[in-house]
Amino acid sequence: MGLSMKKKSAKRIIKKDDLIAYAFIAPALIFFATFVFYPILKGLYNSFFEYTWRENTFIGFDNYLALFRDEIFLKSLGNTVKIVVIAVPLIIVFSLGVSLFIYKLKSFSRSLFRAVFYLPVVTGSVAVTVVWRWIYDPYSGVLNYILKFFGVIDDNIIWLGDSSYALFCIIAVLLTTSVGQPIILYIASLGNIDKSYEEAAKVDGANSWQVFKNIKWPLLMPTTLYIVVISTINSFQIFSLIQLLTSGGPNYSTSTVMYLVYEKAFKLGQFGYAASMGVVLAILIGTMSIAQFKVFGKEVSY
Amino acid sequence: MKKVLSMILVFSLFVTLLVGCNNSNDGGSTGSGVDGEVVEIDFWNFPNYTVIDDVPGKYEEALVAAFEEKNPGIKVNVQMIDFKSGPEKINTSIAAGTAPDVLYDAPGRIIAWGEDGALASLNDMIDDGVKENVSESILRASRAGETYYMYPTHHAPFMMAFNKTKLEELGLMDMVNLEGDRSWTTAEFEAFLKAINDADERGPIVFASSQGGDQGTRAFIANLYDSPITDDALTEYTVNSSNGVKSIQWMADAIDSGLLENGSAYDAGTAIDEFVAGRVIGTLLWSPGLEKIKSEGLNFETVFLPYPNSENPKLEFLVGGLCILDNGDSAKIEASKKFIDFIANDPEWGPKNIVSTGSFPVDQRVAVNYDDPMMTYNATMSNNYSTYYNTIPGFVEMRTYWFPTLQAVINGDKTAEEALNDFVEKANASVK
Repeated sequence: MGLSMKKKSAKRIIKKDDLIAYAFIAPALIFFATFVFYPILKGLYNSFFEYTWRENTFIGFDNYLALFRDEIFLKSLGNTVKIVVIAVPLIIVFSLGVSLFIYKLKSFSRSLFRAVFYLPVVTGSVAVTVVWRWIYDPYSGVLNYILKFFGVIDDNIIWLGDSSYALFCIIAVLLTTSVGQPIILYIASLGNIDKSYEEAAKVDGANSWQVFKNIKWPLLMPTTLYIVVISTINSFQIFSLIQLLTSGGPNYSTSTVMYLVYEKAFKLGQFGYAASMGVVLAILIGTMSIAQFKVFGKEVSY
Repeated sequence: MKKVLSMILVFSLFVTLLVGCNNSNDGGSTGSGVDGEVVEIDFWNFPNYTVIDDVPGKYEEALVAAFEEKNPGIKVNVQMIDFKSGPEKINTSIAAGTAPDVLYDAPGRIIAWGEDGALASLNDMIDDGVKENVSESILRASRAGETYYMYPTHHAPFMMAFNKTKLEELGLMDMVNLEGDRSWTTAEFEAFLKAINDADERGPIVFASSQGGDQGTRAFIANLYDSPITDDALTEYTVNSSNGVKSIQWMADAIDSGLLENGSAYDAGTAIDEFVAGRVIGTLLWSPGLEKIKSEGLNFETVFLPYPNSENPKLEFLVGGLCILDNGDSAKIEASKKFIDFIANDPEWGPKNIVSTGSFPVDQRVAVNYDDPMMTYNATMSNNYSTYYNTIPGFVEMRTYWFPTLQAVINGDKTAEEALNDFVEKANASVK
């Protein structure tokens, strides 16, 4: 009898504690449900409708079928994948390389470099693009001036107006705004690697490459996985740079899925069609993220 | 004690959340016109009026103050929007149910919103007096079917302009026809550009980025070898005619040979700024309004010129006017109508507003006298207005296909014929 009372009392305490815990997470949960979960479901729902300013008619999978016949969407999808495939490895290699270099420096220099690389992250994308527009300007831009000065080119290149260069110009800007956080994370992770591992390996005759390959790289893998996933998602969702630098041009050569979603929804009011693009992009990002967890996750040991 | 503190904390979090999410209408005076209450309306405007003291919206504030003085029961809140992000902002506000009450814009967007059911009918405002004193072409541009959605106020032609001061320095003004409507052929225009190029000056930029100002390059292409963008009945796009192909090929060749500047990375605003700064000698898009807006930055005299055409130039033109967004409040709609009537027809502010836009009144009863040869010439060019196709269904979607078409030809991604056929196919599909 006494034992049963104690159990009941314990349950009541647990329930009360649970209630308080739920109450604490409730604000965040309400926010998440209202501003993330509900819009996701609503977007999915809208994608099955001819949803414009004037009509809202159920059309099943017609938006999805139209998507794969839409050459502008397919071109934008191709550009988006191209940006991810090129940008993400470059972000990893560049930020890791810079971090390995900076990490060895003295405290002041390390902080200075961290600040320099992090600056584009905290600077607004509008300000960043204003500077880059000036750099890429075909007639008065500094890039053409430098290349001509060193004899690399004879005539001005219209960087953002030439379909051969425009996408790479966008990727270059994306890199400058994307490496700041990975560099900070890599430096922090390098600081967490016990120095005795490196010293022991060196005593055993390991060279720098072997130390990196067999000690640092495996221990940095959790950070790398995080950076790969976040960089992939950010690259898939590239929008503001496109909007501010090229508006998807020339001739859709820098148009991305996110830019097209914006154009279809907010310029043309084709909300259902834009929602179906968003769903396809979400599926693509989800699939890529799962694949990355599968591939890199095997090598991650916490 | 801990539990009490926890509960207080949780409660305060909830309160914060609810307060944060609460869409409070604490203006207090946004009443719906119940007797004695002030009706509050929102007025959004692009920079249509002259900017006073470099402060956008200052003219509008003065206009509103004058209106409120005469209409004490109505309060008008002014918000300025820009041409680049403004249209999206309006679309978003309509979708979100936070649209303004009165908006100053052009038929291209206004009629589309009207057809989408976002606007209030202005049929009662367009009375017989208006119908008798405004041209039918402008009235047609202000309605969809039988319903008027825009109260038209002003019009002005879109033209080209060149740096007259520089041309005089180079001795090239004799290549420009200043007689009559100043028309010239494409061959004469080409010779003129060659002379500019020989003098090491940069010709006009064929801007093709973003979306704004697209009417300038469309009018340029449509005129070169006389290839109208649409048919007269506004049922289909026709610019892929053999003359259209010839025109766009001429443009691409002129860029290749340096007579025109490659503007596939330039938007209209930047191209115009290059002209104003004197870095290029001409612009493919100019208007009396732009001349007024940019006057402070202009250190040279301009000369307005029509697009070259083998016959008479056919100009695209601006029609400006006001519309009322139907926010479901009849008191606000009525107050908005009073405000529009004041803007257009107040004996003092009506003409003043027209002058501030640097354009011409659509209503013959509004007298505006410009003592300026430039404005006199522009006024005569209304005789050269082409078919106004901005109210064709799907016009907004068509605009998104125009610059990619130019870019495809300029970059050599497509032949002129392929690009125009592709444009017409997509544009015609948008005519629903």
